[in-house]
Amino acid sequence: MNLLRLPPTCRPPSHRRARRALVVSGVCLLWGLAGLTLAPSAASQGAAGYQVIVNTKNSHGDARRELLADIFLKRATRWDSSERAMPVDLRLDSPARKAFSQGVLGRSVAAVRRYWTQRIFSGRDVPPPQLPSDEAVGKFVATHPGAVGYIGPGPVPTGTKRLEVR
Amino acid sequence: MGANLDVLQGDCCRRTRGVLTSLLLALGTLAPAVARAEEPALDPTDVKIHAFVSQGFIKTTANEYLTRSKRGSFEFSEVGINFTTNLSKDLRVGMQLFAHDLGPIGNYAPSFDWYYLDYRVRDWLGLRAGRIKIPFGLYNDSADIDAARVPILLPQSVYPIDHRDYLLAQTGGEIYGNKRVDPLGEIEYRAYGGTLDLATPVGPTPGISVSDVQVPYVYGGRLLWLTPLEGLTAAASYQALRFDWNYHFIPELIQPFQMLNLVPAGFTGTLPVQFRVKLWVASLEYQVGELSVAAEYSRWVGKFNTQAPNLLPPHTVNERYYAMASYHVTPWFTPGAYYSVYYPNTDRRHGRENRQRDLAVTFRFDVNSYWLLKLEGHWMNGTAALDKALNHGTELDALDKNWAAFLVKTTAYF
Repeated sequence: MNLLRLPPTCRPPSHRRARRALVVSGVCLLWGLAGLTLAPSAASQGAAGYQVIVNTKNSHGDARRELLADIFLKRATRWDSSERAMPVDLRLDSPARKAFSQGVLGRSVAAVRRYWTQRIFSGRDVPPPQLPSDEAVGKFVATHPGAVGYIGPGPVPTGTKRLEVR
Repeated sequence: MGANLDVLQGDCCRRTRGVLTSLLLALGTLAPAVARAEEPALDPTDVKIHAFVSQGFIKTTANEYLTRSKRGSFEFSEVGINFTTNLSKDLRVGMQLFAHDLGPIGNYAPSFDWYYLDYRVRDWLGLRAGRIKIPFGLYNDSADIDAARVPILLPQSVYPIDHRDYLLAQTGGEIYGNKRVDPLGEIEYRAYGGTLDLATPVGPTPGISVSDVQVPYVYGGRLLWLTPLEGLTAAASYQALRFDWNYHFIPELIQPFQMLNLVPAGFTGTLPVQFRVKLWVASLEYQVGELSVAAEYSRWVGKFNTQAPNLLPPHTVNERYYAMASYHVTPWFTPGAYYSVYYPNTDRRHGRENRQRDLAVTFRFDVNSYWLLKLEGHWMNGTAALDKALNHGTELDALDKNWAAFLVKTTAYF
């Protein structure tokens, strides 16, 4: 979504109809908020401090951001191809995790942690396993065909490939 | 109706406090698992262990609230430990042991908070069987979990902590799933049916006892819409259940009650009661950046079916709503506030005993990833949420109208 593009109704308010202007302003505000909070740019993935990796046997070269978010929040358990997805996280204090949380999950690491705390203790599910380093993530993804992880900027580990986020 | 539900509130069977000590010792034994939680757990058949321990303190300026709070009370403890594992790639089992104490309820009696078999056929279809947390509103299924929220007490109009035995979990089955419906966002549904397991409560007044408490059914569901506006969630929940029980009057009470026309002529001392309850709540939550806001509106409709309509009103509707906000200022500091309103009977809104307004402010401090501390103040108007029995039998209209409650709570969890 283009952040700068506003709907045609979002024109400067008329002095004659203050109420209408208020409604239009509300619509503009919501539109702007939607633009600000909807999908981050996929092209910014590398520069944003993370890159998503999957096993080289994974048939996907790219994936929708929403699908990735659902996989990491365990709302989705499979890839579009029906292969079982195995997400793996980095440590809470990892810069790549912070960037990934904001860029793909659309929320802070703390908010994601609160999400999992709710689900763990209400018996819904448990979070993906956490690994201590990019190397550990690379090794895990390289040895599990359905696995998906993220690492910081740099070369992609052997046996994995970068997944573009749409 | 909330007050009517209190009729079922009673002392759970008292168990030794050593049970809590045992659980705490178990947690101590499991301390290495705290570290393990940060380490790789890559075998999907691993047993995942999580636990929490909370201790709170309540002090009120007037009126006894939840516990003997006027003098200050530490009877506000929770402990839980859960185990989850995958038996196959689609089949998961889990259970949580829980014990708590809050004034007259809980008394550290350990129980299964939840246990289940969960078979996820597809993302849009999963099946659970066992004792399952009830999805009602945004937070009911996590109402026990201090670490999952900012306030110590969730808005008590919609999530009354002293009603947890009726509202938190049901024993039966559930179907659930989620489906993305681009470009409209995502829909998550849960539908359940089963029963509740209740301990026999004490009678509402001396001379009247209760027996044969049963819940023939409880069913309901929640539809949750994750809108295309990132962070904006809307939900609607519904629940219906029926309580059956018998009141037994001592012979000395029968004639006075008949003279007051509260029980029918020919009353022999046993009064069968059916109490049907229907609850619904509409919910809205918006999380943007570090700001989180939520609002919910709920009505609970209760219908008594008895031979004594003058004693138990045939139809009661109560109203409950709140608005809440919190802001994650730093990784270790989150302030929050809410305003919550409860009317036990929508036909009678005047008088302190017929309303409860609650303005609450909370400061949450996350000392580290496993330990938090909260401070909370409540400025109350009304007495409808108070328990007459806990206030030495004083009628609600005779209790202090304006009062405050201050709470401190600390929780460790992993």
